[in-house]
Amino acid sequence: MNETFFWWKLTIGVIATIGLYSVLYRETKLYRFFEHLFLGLAAGFTLVALWKETLKPLWWDKMTGSATIDPITNVSTMDAPGYWVYGFLLPIGLMGYLVFTKRHNWMSRIPIGVILGFWSGQQVQIWWNRWGAQIYSSMQPVWPTTTDSFTRPYSADLPAPEQAYIAAQLYPSQAISNLIFVITILAALSYFFFSFDMKGRLLKGSNTLGRWLLMIGFGAIFGSTVMARFVLEIDRMSYIFVEWMDQTGKMFGGG
Amino acid sequence: MSKPEKSFWEKAQAIDRRVLYAVLIVCTAISLFFKTEIPVNPDDSSKDLYVSLMTIDPNKTVLIESDWTNSTRGESAGHFEALMRILMNRNIKFVLYSIADPQAPQVARDALLRIQEERKAQGLKVYEPWVDYLDLGYFPNAEGHLQAVGNNIRTAWGGRKERDEAGVERDVFTSPVLSGVRVVGDASLLIVCSASATIDIAVERLYGKVPLGFMVTGVMGPNALPYYQARQIVGMGVGLKGVYDVEYMMTYGVNYRVEGTNKPKVSYREESVTIPPVTEGTTFDRGARYFLPLHVALALMILAIILGNVAMFASRKKRVVA
Amino acid sequence: MIELIAQAAPEFNPFWGTEPSPEAIWKIFAAIAVGIVFMFLLMRVPTRSRRSIVMTFTFLSGAFYVVYYLWPEPINRGPNDAPSGFVDAGGFFLQDALPKVADIANVLTYLLLCLGIYSLTRIHLGRVVKKQKDWSFSVVLLIAMVAMIAVGYWDYILKEFNDPDKLLTKAENWGGVNYAYDMLFDGLIQQMDAAMFSMIAFFILSAAYRAFRIRSIEATVMMASAILLMVSLMGAVDYQWSEIIKGWTNDQPGNFLNNFNLSEVAGWVKNNLQIPSIRALEFGVGLGALAMGLRIWLGLERGGVSV
Repeated sequence: MNETFFWWKLTIGVIATIGLYSVLYRETKLYRFFEHLFLGLAAGFTLVALWKETLKPLWWDKMTGSATIDPITNVSTMDAPGYWVYGFLLPIGLMGYLVFTKRHNWMSRIPIGVILGFWSGQQVQIWWNRWGAQIYSSMQPVWPTTTDSFTRPYSADLPAPEQAYIAAQLYPSQAISNLIFVITILAALSYFFFSFDMKGRLLKGSNTLGRWLLMIGFGAIFGSTVMARFVLEIDRMSYIFVEWMDQTGKMFGGG
Repeated sequence: MSKPEKSFWEKAQAIDRRVLYAVLIVCTAISLFFKTEIPVNPDDSSKDLYVSLMTIDPNKTVLIESDWTNSTRGESAGHFEALMRILMNRNIKFVLYSIADPQAPQVARDALLRIQEERKAQGLKVYEPWVDYLDLGYFPNAEGHLQAVGNNIRTAWGGRKERDEAGVERDVFTSPVLSGVRVVGDASLLIVCSASATIDIAVERLYGKVPLGFMVTGVMGPNALPYYQARQIVGMGVGLKGVYDVEYMMTYGVNYRVEGTNKPKVSYREESVTIPPVTEGTTFDRGARYFLPLHVALALMILAIILGNVAMFASRKKRVVA
Repeated sequence: MIELIAQAAPEFNPFWGTEPSPEAIWKIFAAIAVGIVFMFLLMRVPTRSRRSIVMTFTFLSGAFYVVYYLWPEPINRGPNDAPSGFVDAGGFFLQDALPKVADIANVLTYLLLCLGIYSLTRIHLGRVVKKQKDWSFSVVLLIAMVAMIAVGYWDYILKEFNDPDKLLTKAENWGGVNYAYDMLFDGLIQQMDAAMFSMIAFFILSAAYRAFRIRSIEATVMMASAILLMVSLMGAVDYQWSEIIKGWTNDQPGNFLNNFNLSEVAGWVKNNLQIPSIRALEFGVGLGALAMGLRIWLGLERGGVSV
């Protein structure tokens, strides 16, 4: 790529980044300018992608079908037939835009209803696909199969049959871990029982324990989210202080 | 009437947010300039993902669902670049598609181009569209699309045209990349490189039909963990730690003992698996560059939380004493 | 609708599926015209029938997938196999129709996505015309949008129709429009997108400093879990701690103290406390989605798609 163009591209990106970051100090006109510029460009890109990424390959091409013409014999071979009836989808999709008319805005619910209908029809099976294996894996064994040792012995240096024997056993430490897993999931689930009053020490205790254990989950989500957000900030710093400065050095320092 | 002067701890509780912002910017920016290799113990999920990628049949096609945009470049680009390097090193054909965002295909194309240029400069094989990989673009209805792929990949992607080596538009199933794929399970792996809930859609629609692997952002990591525990996915890299784990394993291998040492740098629970280090092309890149700044930022975060709490207790105690 | 378009490939119904030819274009226009007529007919529907029409569309759409799951699936079907009876024919039909249904959903979803853009344009055009407060920023937005559309399509046309040898896939062959597109997309949209999301890091730091306080058992538990996870993400700390443990255990891999490696402790907490609690949390959401799905499909959800 042309080095001068590349530098300008990086420079403009850096200016836009700094413009948006100006809101960290306080809301400025500079920030609002770049905010609107971003919204406008992103909206424009969505309309570019409308044909390029979606309607052309998923609607037009499938409607017209595809054929390969042999460059030597000039004979056309059909790869896929065209489904002209897809043309009907355009007016149905455009019904969504009637939401802005007073008299016919009810018709905008037809395309939305079709999409929501598809989504809701899928829930029946996908629910099991997603949760079946998870429910199964939540049923952890909690009774140890051996008490030879409290923890699983180190086995990497042992012969293969002994390794296999050790791998097949459930040692007390693992059983305790599994029990904690089962208690955690039951207690956390009990927090979501709204069908009846949580009365009695057991139910109340389970509910409270569930709330604490859910906090452990939230803590993990928080910690992991913090990593993600910081990395995005680090990436911007890299964009400004490494990529842009490198290119500036190449442009003006000859390096 | 003059206000009573604030104590040190009261001041420590009320540091201006802009000071915190400035400290974060300065600390992370400075640490970007220190290039150090940080030893790590890769997560089990990262090891499983890497071992899967390095042991799949090189003659089978890998499907890549690229569902990230530049908004998560810091993490997702690292995942995607490492994935490209691994597949290209192993000469594995792949198909790219996106279901999360109309920008996603273009971002993936740009990242792919970067790796192509890097490999070209290193004198390595450059992947050719149509022959080595296919770029199918964007499918807006994620749920319906993956459902159709699971049902019959040939009809779900049939009629989709790409240009062949001669520049002629042809059905994608006539390309060398997809010609051997009759059902989705004919692909060796589907890697979802995602910054959004499309991981859930993939499990819901494709679990059991094709082995799934995830490369996700830190935000999506906790959501994906239950899938990994239930063995619904073969492995996953989470966030920047996941990127660095993969780069580290590319550099040092898995269960691989360097002569003269008795222990591998990265050990794997299955002793029979030995993966030597990747010798061609780049291994340490974005993950390695951002890992030290991440340490600094996380340390700053922990310090900020501790400071806020210590200051709160100290000023409260002082008030009680007073 | 679904019945009409379900076609098996490569065998196809010569009426609904056509060989690629210029005549096919006329059929496409006819389909669009019929759709428009259908739309105008719907406009004349009396108010009391509207709810049933919307519910019928929703129910039929959902019913397709429900029937698809319940109907016996053809096993190991080859491309040239013929159905052996009614049940088999149903299975073939449903399998062939599914990708067409996905196409319908893809096209309708994207057309509806653009509804948001239409709405955005209306609001900002209105602001400019009425010279409301900060209308100049709306001008910026509209100009940016038009510029992106113009440059985006120009670039697309050049690459799609004027570049048979695929020269424009390489930057050294680019012209002014290709550069302009790259500047707008990669130079601006992409970088601003990243900048917008990265700002959350600053807010999260400030919020944690101000609000993440040990005021209850719940907050303490959450903080301990978060800090443990953050420390375990710091590979250097984890590694140094494991080196200290190695010193205590004389590098004996079977020593009990190895369980106190940071990655082991964090892994244990992750596997036995974090995963089940997240699973329970998501399980509740999953049950809610299932219930909501059934309510929408059966038209019980008032204020959803019903009128």
